[in-house]
Amino acid sequence: MTKDFAVPPVVFPSGGSPAPGANVQQRRVPTAPPYQPPRPSASSSIPFMSFDIGSASATQGGPFGGAIASSSSFGGGSASFDDEEPLLDELGIHPDQIWKKTRSILNPFRINQTVHKDSDLSGPIFLYLALCLFQLLAGKIQFGVILGWVVVASMFLYTVYNMLAGRNGNLNLHTCTSLVGYSLLPVVILSAVSLFVPQGAGPVRFVLAGAFVLWATRACSNLVVSLADGGEEHRGLISYACFLIYTLFSLLVVF
Amino acid sequence: MYNNMGPQPGMPMPQANPQPNPFGNAFSGPGSGLIRSGLGAYGEKIFGSSSEYVQSNITRYFSDPQYYFQVNDQYVRNKLKIVLFPFLHRGHWTRISEPVGGRLSYKPPIYDINAPDLYIPLMAFGTYVVLAGLSLGLYGKFTPEALNWLFVKGMVGWFLQVMLLKITLLSLGSGEAPLLDIVAYAGYTFTGLCLAVLGKIIWGYSYYVLIPWTCLCTGVFLVKTMKRVLFAEARSYDSSRHHYLLIFVALAQFPLLIWLGNISVNWLF
Repeated sequence: MTKDFAVPPVVFPSGGSPAPGANVQQRRVPTAPPYQPPRPSASSSIPFMSFDIGSASATQGGPFGGAIASSSSFGGGSASFDDEEPLLDELGIHPDQIWKKTRSILNPFRINQTVHKDSDLSGPIFLYLALCLFQLLAGKIQFGVILGWVVVASMFLYTVYNMLAGRNGNLNLHTCTSLVGYSLLPVVILSAVSLFVPQGAGPVRFVLAGAFVLWATRACSNLVVSLADGGEEHRGLISYACFLIYTLFSLLVVF
Repeated sequence: MYNNMGPQPGMPMPQANPQPNPFGNAFSGPGSGLIRSGLGAYGEKIFGSSSEYVQSNITRYFSDPQYYFQVNDQYVRNKLKIVLFPFLHRGHWTRISEPVGGRLSYKPPIYDINAPDLYIPLMAFGTYVVLAGLSLGLYGKFTPEALNWLFVKGMVGWFLQVMLLKITLLSLGSGEAPLLDIVAYAGYTFTGLCLAVLGKIIWGYSYYVLIPWTCLCTGVFLVKTMKRVLFAEARSYDSSRHHYLLIFVALAQFPLLIWLGNISVNWLF
């Protein structure tokens, strides 16, 4: 026996749709003519495009018919496969921008802050994975530790900067994390280089670590001060905070 | 993005400042946006009343942290000199007060070398954790978990110092100094401690000279501070009890700092 369910009419995004009356009255196989998805013009061999509503609803009736009908017709009815955005763009990852930003940190003597104006977190994630990889090569599994320390360090820098800058400070957490992450590049290079320096607490390791830490500190503090307001007269104080952060990371690498 | 939170209706803070203060009032500005958005939201849930009530009560117990970060390079350098060599400080130890909106409040740290700040204690604590990690690593016992335990140890030490000062104040009948003031004064011990740990790293035997020196300096600094600044609010003046308590504060620095300076894998000892 048929039951009357108060189902709102399913509206398909494009193309013809079965008569709304069919869906409102019953959730069984719609008696309206089945909806034909537009065949792709190119002879693509993608199998799911040739899916047919009629066969689907015939094989699985009942409550699933409505769901499958809507999903497959949505897949077929929306923009075709060629019109979809590339995956990286949809995710918001722009490799050329990441590369540009990373290259700007490579020069320790001149900081290019315009390229860092829009902050993103995908570059820092990539650098974090690279650091974890080099630590793994050195025999230390520290994925969680480094991630936790990056989060805590960026919150620390965010608090200190905004408190010092007072009313004019407008650093936001996203930019702060992005800058702390990108300035990890010298630490990543340090961990790669220290794979080849002999083990043990020799002076070479410390001098090397010191140089890279100073590089990272300079990069981070210059970027932070130039990108957010209110930090100009507190340069030294902020760069000491950055120095503490990167010394902490270098401890992980050196020992 | 916090700047448009500035003028709010029903703000209980006085607007008239005798000098142009760029740092503004308690609950405007980005730093205090943290307080406002965090505590204001919970205020509704906990008290069920409007958030202005919660904010005005929060100011009573937990004074505006923005005040403690109004520092500059020169202040930091001079304050470090005072904390590390307190007996060389020729001037007085009282804080300069100014009338603000009918109430007496103290000048911010930029204008007054005796005012407490939170930047130096925070940085000294961070330096202590980093240096302690370094010294652990030099003995070959560095692990990230050991560093976490060192952080906990430092926090416990800071808390114990705060308790010491607070109990001293309370036993004189007045505990009305703002909590952040006491936290700031307690945090100054980490500067001397960093010096001692640095000495230990550079040359092992210097530690045995630096630790008594640090304990003495911290004791003298805390005693002088407590005498002038915090006891100004004590109701009754009981001379001998005053002095015994001050001596107790100075002597209690020794075990505390020796415990904090003893850096090993077992964090409790």
